Amino acid sequence: MSRPNAPLPPTAWHTIGPFFPRSFYREGDNDLTRLSADAAPTARGEHIRLRGRVLEQGGGACVNAVLEAWQADASGRFRHPLDPGWRDADPDFLGWGRAWTDGEGAYSFRTVLPGGYQDAAGPRAPHVDIAVIGSGIMRRLVTTLFFPDFAEANATDPVLRAVPEPLRPLLVARPDGEVDGLRAFRFDLVLRGAPEAETPFFVD
Amino acid sequence: MNRLDPPDLFAPYDEAGQPAVPIEGYPNTVRRNPSRPLLARPYTRTARTGPLDLAPKLQPHDNNLAVLAPGRIAIGQLIHVSGRVLDEDGRGVAGAVVELWQANAAGRYVNPLDQRDAPLDPNFIGNGRTLTDAQGRYAFVTIKPGAYPVPDSGRWWRPPHVHFSILGPSTLSRLVTQMYFPGDPLNPHDRLLNSLPDPAARARLIAAQTPPEDVDGEWLAFTWDVVLRGRHATPPAP
Repeated sequence: MSRPNAPLPPTAWHTIGPFFPRSFYREGDNDLTRLSADAAPTARGEHIRLRGRVLEQGGGACVNAVLEAWQADASGRFRHPLDPGWRDADPDFLGWGRAWTDGEGAYSFRTVLPGGYQDAAGPRAPHVDIAVIGSGIMRRLVTTLFFPDFAEANATDPVLRAVPEPLRPLLVARPDGEVDGLRAFRFDLVLRGAPEAETPFFVD
Repeated sequence: MNRLDPPDLFAPYDEAGQPAVPIEGYPNTVRRNPSRPLLARPYTRTARTGPLDLAPKLQPHDNNLAVLAPGRIAIGQLIHVSGRVLDEDGRGVAGAVVELWQANAAGRYVNPLDQRDAPLDPNFIGNGRTLTDAQGRYAFVTIKPGAYPVPDSGRWWRPPHVHFSILGPSTLSRLVTQMYFPGDPLNPHDRLLNSLPDPAARARLIAAQTPPEDVDGEWLAFTWDVVLRGRHATPPAP
């Protein structure tokens, strides 16, 4: 089999529209610590809660938005062959979750504090990639959440450094008390807003 | 795709093949899209990887939308929609989660947000979720959705369409899109379809109808292949 010279063009994106089925969302989908709804949560790493609101132009709540999170395990590994250390990745940690914003635009995830890792592009600080899909969002909006605990690592992270310096604090979650005994972090996503408040999003 | 050999080459999308916003009559395409240009970022391991086994989490075991239970058949034209999920090299993507949802034959969704005065069908929920096989194939049995007017949009009608959400081998291969039906007179007027600058990209969202004489079943059949972003740096072994 020969390799085609011209790859097939990727299919175009569209919005999910206003009617993404509610029954697609089940309790526990926003829990990254479990492989399935009835699996035991991973025992590795510090369990944490991420929460915030998704806001649209004018500061109104962005209701019925779907957020998808993806991150490394507590040791900075992914259970995926493109990670050279993937066989050592936490077998009980899914690393993926989906949350749905409520009437106030609020969402939450349960996960573990991710580990950093060395990438070809530079040393990655602990982070969580978050994608937003929703009505009117014709292509998913991708951004990255960083943690206030790692100021030094954040300063050299190659993705955070791709953000103009004055905007970088917008991608660092804030400590937000405790939920059920877990440290919570707040991360609001302003899809469109004043230049100093709008969340930086990346080319997908 | 072998699960141990996922795509490892990713390039930013060709803008001509992707929707341009804002879209007239769809204010959320303004309110919910950033005013600042998107920032270029290196594709590090986080972006290049993704969850390879979502089946236990998402339970993709429902690809029959038309028959809710024995004797409870949805109103509408029974259709079979199938195809392959491919990567840019044309290799089938095995184990991808395919989520599908759509309006009923009257153009109404089973969703509390759809308050249009059109009938609901007690035998039609309108969503399903399945997993691609080893060759990347998927299939659904459903009914042909109806067209519907978009509220407050100035007489814009959505043509019959089926929503797809596909979770492939990388977060960079994530895809949400819509499938259209061939020859529908509303297609050339649809503002979402027309938001794609490249006419070839629009054409790729339109399914092909299988000639009825080639269909083994009492339904009309449509095929539609989907291409997820991602190539392989090395060619497959001979």
